Amino acid sequence: MNVNVVISSDYSIISVEGRVDTTNANEFEKAVMEVVASGINRIILDCSGLNYISSSGLRVFLIVQKKMMASKGELRLCSLQPGIQEIFDISGFTSIFSIYPDKDLALK
Amino acid sequence: MISIRNLSKHFGDLVVLKDISTDIKKGEVISIIGPSGTGKSTFLRCLNLLETPTGGEILIDGLSLLDKKSDVPKIRQKMGMVFQSFNLYSHLTILENLTIGPVKLLKKGRDETNKKAFELLKLVGLAEKAYSFPDELSGGQKQRVAIARCMAMEPEILLFDEPTSALDPTMVSEVLSVIRRLVREGMTMVIVTHEMEFARNISSRVFYMDQGVIYEEGTPEQIFDNPQKERTKTFIHRIRSLTHHISSKDYDLYALQGEVETFCEKHMLSKKESDYLALITEEVLCLQSDFSDIDLSLSYSEKDGTLEFVCASKGTPLNPLEEGVADDDIGLRLIKSRCKSVGYKYENGKNILMLTVKGE
Repeated sequence: MNVNVVISSDYSIISVEGRVDTTNANEFEKAVMEVVASGINRIILDCSGLNYISSSGLRVFLIVQKKMMASKGELRLCSLQPGIQEIFDISGFTSIFSIYPDKDLALK
Repeated sequence: MISIRNLSKHFGDLVVLKDISTDIKKGEVISIIGPSGTGKSTFLRCLNLLETPTGGEILIDGLSLLDKKSDVPKIRQKMGMVFQSFNLYSHLTILENLTIGPVKLLKKGRDETNKKAFELLKLVGLAEKAYSFPDELSGGQKQRVAIARCMAMEPEILLFDEPTSALDPTMVSEVLSVIRRLVREGMTMVIVTHEMEFARNISSRVFYMDQGVIYEEGTPEQIFDNPQKERTKTFIHRIRSLTHHISSKDYDLYALQGEVETFCEKHMLSKKESDYLALITEEVLCLQSDFSDIDLSLSYSEKDGTLEFVCASKGTPLNPLEEGVADDDIGLRLIKSRCKSVGYKYENGKNILMLTVKGE
């Protein structure tokens, strides 16, 4: 898994690539929460490179969303691959998150 | 008609047949099926002493084949054997191949023998080849001649050792139809075969042989539709399986999922099924609380395409698939979405989850 962060005055973009699973969910949580803890409260999670997610990864998304809502921030997700989108649908996460087809639309 | 008691055969240290006992009645058609190298052909060859048994007893109509006082050649004449590789005399015509045995061994007259040979050649559909030589015939025709030659010796029992294994697939049916015809005439037969549909259709009983024993026997319906024992099920359903043992919480998830992916590729399962299994594997393990002794097994039936995932984990009874057991239901939702059915049982100190994975 790779996590890249681009800080911006508008929406900061966190790109995640590879897998988020039981093995690396803590690492992913740490990387995202560092950005959240720095006071940035408008975040786009770019999932275009995410090709596998399990319940452990989904829980991290949930934790981040709760944290952002508590700080009245905004979390947007974009560019979910079809398999990942399906996992979000099954788990009921589609209705919890703001999901955009691509980064440009998420930035609007 | 044939009684076999405690039959065994060793080749040096190699035990090929172990203590086999069974009875074959007059008019029965017995098919012997099973994996290669499990003693099927050796069993058949012991029945007419092409191999000398190491121990046990074979009785044909009450006469012992292994008793030195018995007239063994006379008893053996009751049996004819058809081999995988035909074994015809290449320097003799088809007619001569059929008549040499009755004339020389049974001391029958030439006219009578020729008449009978033509009848038999008609029976196997080869009367017009009577004056041809074996090399002028196709494999299927040679095997039909071999069957007719066996019949010319007027045996009471026919033994077939994989009679279609050496044939081009296009020639298998012609040989099988000749054997079917003999079945209709009430001949007692023992057939070692890999032709499962044929065995199902013609047999009165089926022996499933494995590791040198008749591991399971029954009617074709019992063996092919409802096998009771594990190895029979694996063979009949052409089940391919993968097993993996976990003994620590620090198991290697990536190695395990890699094995699952390789298994799927090897058995031509779809990318979707492979992805489903990777997720199920992780989610099932996420639901476990005791990692000291977990056995995972994945079984794929080539026959009906069923893909089953079983997780057996040592511990006190607890069904992690029950709602409310885990902290949240995310994992459970993912598992259920990827499975046709999920089941749980507690057996021998293990919580066993049985999942049937969705296919294409």
